[in-house]
Amino acid sequence: MSVKPIATTRSATGIPTGRLAVWWLLASEVVIFGGLLGSYIMHRMGHPEWAEAAVHTNTWFGAFNTFVLLTSSFTAVLAHQAAESGQGKKAAKYLLLTMGGALTFLLVKSVEWTIEISHGYTITANTFWSFYYTAAGLHGLHVIAGAIIMGFVAADAWRGEELQRVELIGIYWHFVDLVWIFLFPLLYIAK
Amino acid sequence: MSDNHHVNYKRVYLWLLALLVVSVAGPFIGILSVTLITAFGIAVVKANLVIQNFMHLRWEKTLAKWVLITSLALMALFVAGAAPDVMRHEGQNWVNVAAADAVDRGVVDEHAEEETDVAVAEPGVFDAVGQFNLICAMCHGSASDGMGAAGLALDPRPADFTDPAFWETRDDQRVKTAIRDGGVAVGASALMAPWGALYDDAQLDALVEYVRSFGPTGQ
Repeated sequence: MSVKPIATTRSATGIPTGRLAVWWLLASEVVIFGGLLGSYIMHRMGHPEWAEAAVHTNTWFGAFNTFVLLTSSFTAVLAHQAAESGQGKKAAKYLLLTMGGALTFLLVKSVEWTIEISHGYTITANTFWSFYYTAAGLHGLHVIAGAIIMGFVAADAWRGEELQRVELIGIYWHFVDLVWIFLFPLLYIAK
Repeated sequence: MSDNHHVNYKRVYLWLLALLVVSVAGPFIGILSVTLITAFGIAVVKANLVIQNFMHLRWEKTLAKWVLITSLALMALFVAGAAPDVMRHEGQNWVNVAAADAVDRGVVDEHAEEETDVAVAEPGVFDAVGQFNLICAMCHGSASDGMGAAGLALDPRPADFTDPAFWETRDDQRVKTAIRDGGVAVGASALMAPWGALYDDAQLDALVEYVRSFGPTGQ
């Protein structure tokens, strides 16, 4: 891997600048998702009647999607491992698998939402469902964005270019996984 | 990252799956405290596994950890600041009426089947008196004398259904048309709004009957 004198691989802090930027991005994500989930938890504890609405979420959809995201995190870290040893094509393949996980996650989500919406559990049904669709929807947008960026990184990696980016998109992807790790018990298990 | 960390990623992954199974199985035991631990305790353990082993935060420079800890602290500050307002529904000098009502409604709904003796209008049976008091009484007054709070400022004043003179020029059909299509439809005040969108034909008849009950009997 050639080291180019550009900002993404330069380091003034001991952390490659690109990776430090990802940490900063995640710091802002912590506040965005933390504020949203924190508000949900506070409302949920102040409103015992929400348990009535929460019983209608389907644990198996949530559990399966947790499995999908954990698996995609595993393939993302394997892509990172391959990139570190300079195997661009292998890294690109693992990134493609990760994108497959993202696609599976979104397909399951759309089936799940279709069923719920057709049963009248819409975003305006009550405040529980408002939080449900807002939190899972914001997370879903992050899944979509991550998968798209991963496509560009994988295309570069296939040609053996910009391999340091494989780790960066991986760190972001693990964060998307992390958010779901908390959304799963909050929306599906606590009933 | 150029340095090698010798993480067995597959083992971490299998641990994550095992923990997922535990968190799904937790609620089946049926004890709330167990469910909370298997749900949220395990979420924290899973998160830590991902952060340390997949994101490699444990080998990262302290600076990155401080960046993340700072934003977590800011988030905690926000939550702590908002918590008293959101989680409590009354304090020394204030009451969150809307939130308390929502809890009451929700909790009542939950036990609705057990509390069938509570006086609630049967679904499907039209409550003409209730509708009169809800809609008409705003202007016509609940005593039907045209003295409703919202009617006091109107010109011409709302009709007084207790006045025998009013009924000398009215029949049921005219009253019904006025309720359904508004005062203009019977050449009366335009301030009498049309309510036809709210009621079907039989419901209009029930309202007419109730309104007429304020007038002289035998007419």
